[in-house]
Amino acid sequence: MTPLLEIKNLVTAFHTPGGRVPAVDGVSLSIERGSTLGLVGESGCGKSVTAMSILRLVAAPGVIESGQILLARDGGADDLVRLPEPALRKVRGGRVGMIFQEPMTSLNPVFTIGDQVAEVVRLHRGASREAARARALEMLRLVRLADPERRLDEYPHQLSGGMRQRVMIAMALACEPDLVIADEPTTALDVTIQAQVLDLLADLRRRLGTAILLITHDLGVVAETCDEVAVMYAGRIVERASAATLFARPLHPYTIGLLAARPDPEARADATGRRPPLRTIPGMVPPPQQFPPGCRFHPRCAAARTGAAAAPHDCAAVVPALREVEPGHFVACHYPGESGLAAEPRA
Amino acid sequence: MSTSPILVVEHLETHFPIRRGLMRRPVGAVRAVDGVSFALAKGRTLGIVGESGCGKTTVGRSVLRLVEPTGGRVVFAGQDVRQTRGGALRSLRRRMQIVFQDPYGSLNPRMTVRAILEEGLVIHRLGDATARLARMRQALEHTGLAAAALDKYPHEFSGGQRQRIAIARALVLEPELLVLDEPISALDVSIQAQVLNLLVELRDRLGLTYLFISHDLSAVEHVADDVAVMYLGRIVEQAAAGRLCAAPLHPYTLALFSAVPAVDPRRRRKRIVLPGDVPSPVNPPAGCRFHPRCPLAERVCREVDPAATRVAGHLVHCHVAARELERAGGDARAAGSRMADALASAPDIYSLVAPQSVASAPAP
Repeated sequence: MTPLLEIKNLVTAFHTPGGRVPAVDGVSLSIERGSTLGLVGESGCGKSVTAMSILRLVAAPGVIESGQILLARDGGADDLVRLPEPALRKVRGGRVGMIFQEPMTSLNPVFTIGDQVAEVVRLHRGASREAARARALEMLRLVRLADPERRLDEYPHQLSGGMRQRVMIAMALACEPDLVIADEPTTALDVTIQAQVLDLLADLRRRLGTAILLITHDLGVVAETCDEVAVMYAGRIVERASAATLFARPLHPYTIGLLAARPDPEARADATGRRPPLRTIPGMVPPPQQFPPGCRFHPRCAAARTGAAAAPHDCAAVVPALREVEPGHFVACHYPGESGLAAEPRA
Repeated sequence: MSTSPILVVEHLETHFPIRRGLMRRPVGAVRAVDGVSFALAKGRTLGIVGESGCGKTTVGRSVLRLVEPTGGRVVFAGQDVRQTRGGALRSLRRRMQIVFQDPYGSLNPRMTVRAILEEGLVIHRLGDATARLARMRQALEHTGLAAAALDKYPHEFSGGQRQRIAIARALVLEPELLVLDEPISALDVSIQAQVLNLLVELRDRLGLTYLFISHDLSAVEHVADDVAVMYLGRIVEQAAAGRLCAAPLHPYTLALFSAVPAVDPRRRRKRIVLPGDVPSPVNPPAGCRFHPRCPLAERVCREVDPAATRVAGHLVHCHVAARELERAGGDARAAGSRMADALASAPDIYSLVAPQSVASAPAP
């Protein structure tokens, strides 16, 4: 079966006065119909630029330099990288919906909620004013916004953060897209509101069969909502697997480190009630101007082998390919499974 | 444990007036903090958790009088902070420092690290040039930064390093109490662990006392000895960190813990999804403030503000928890898990009902 979305060797770079900055550097991904893929990573890893590249929303000086983004349609696929702009406009908000992090800034403050949801339907479906308004009301009901008739004529500032994010979801789903790209959809929300929104997304996916690309830095969110996970570091995918496999058997030292650095609620407290120090990943994420050669994680990796002693692979010289180490489990590491943790936390 | 508390907060109230009209007459008040009490012993850490708008940040700022409390008492090292004026207040403030959430916003981009660290020393007239330099170097060393950082500007550092500068700025005055207001929230996941370890290590090495304010339950659980959960200007539950996490009792705490997404499927709790949003602190609901969102609310919850129930140092403000505790013979774990089951099976968990419509709904 062909996947709904297939990204092949995507390279998106920013051409700044300081030189070329490859924010996304050879990313390949695929999403099946109706499934949820989580794209995880820290700030600057290129996860949002990957998402923006799919709908060609990367602003200048960013340019998609190479690669393919294949979106399946009846009897074939469109390459979104090469699709002419008018055709692409039909895809945005039509076959592919998008939910952004900050619901306040992504809703227009001077239009009512009803107008904004209806606009999507009018634009893509050519619906009449009345039909679009009826559809907007239906969508607000679907996302379980309380009092939808009243909300239709309200402005974004009259809604809470959680309600606004529901409106964003209603807009993204109004044209029954095949795919929804959700970029940190719950990061700006409180944890109890985040739980409401994640449950809503999961429920809508089950009922409407929409595939979701969920971009987040929160491993917990991924573990609870995604079928598949891809971990990004410094512009590249470093590990990909089903969520169950990745969290049970992480193999890339970066993934292992990220999981181990989280406070462990079951850590044994000592006699004074204090817990042992957290495991840490030393150093910090390199800015794209300073991506190191070879494996980009090697300067922070305790398992890295470099220089004369490095055998069979020099992590500082050879870029590890993303290879399948067990069925469905891909890792870009010369020495997968070895912990990238510092032996001792900083004294 | 037996040392007398270094910080005592009693019935703290911080209300912000809402002014309207030509005369800017106060027409109401945002009751950001509305009767908060706790005590903190030297060398200990109290974590305050809660969601945005619950008043946790205002508690921290009120303790330092960065905002003026409107009621209650704050006693730091035997001195009533609210009654202190002038030079005495300044010297008190040297002993109580704060680290803010956003290390991008809290450091002046036009000042070098040297100027940032020195400012407090100058204001408090501490030491001569040589002594100041020594203190600045030591503060940087404590936070794991090289002395070469002194002549750099904040933009030359990463987020994690900036937060270390902010911590150094607080430490340079050799304070006894640090208010840490969301100190790791703005940092990347791999950097959060580094900063948390640093904070714990500094506390233990320098004998610091922390008021650790955060919405991140797992971070608070890791660092704090005691945890207070705030909702709408009040502490609704407070206990030793391990005890609170093992046996939460307040329905809000139960919901909060269940909402945290867990990586480990075995750690996943039955999700309790609360209806609606936090009501406005201008007109907090009558009775228990949590009742409009509480699936377990009964008539008494709508009418009577629940008093504290105490079990072995565990304090909870909830009518239902009080009854369940009594039924379970004081076994918090049993009472809490009964309540969690009732909450998770509550009907209509999805509806986002406006608070006012819930308040007017008939009693079940």
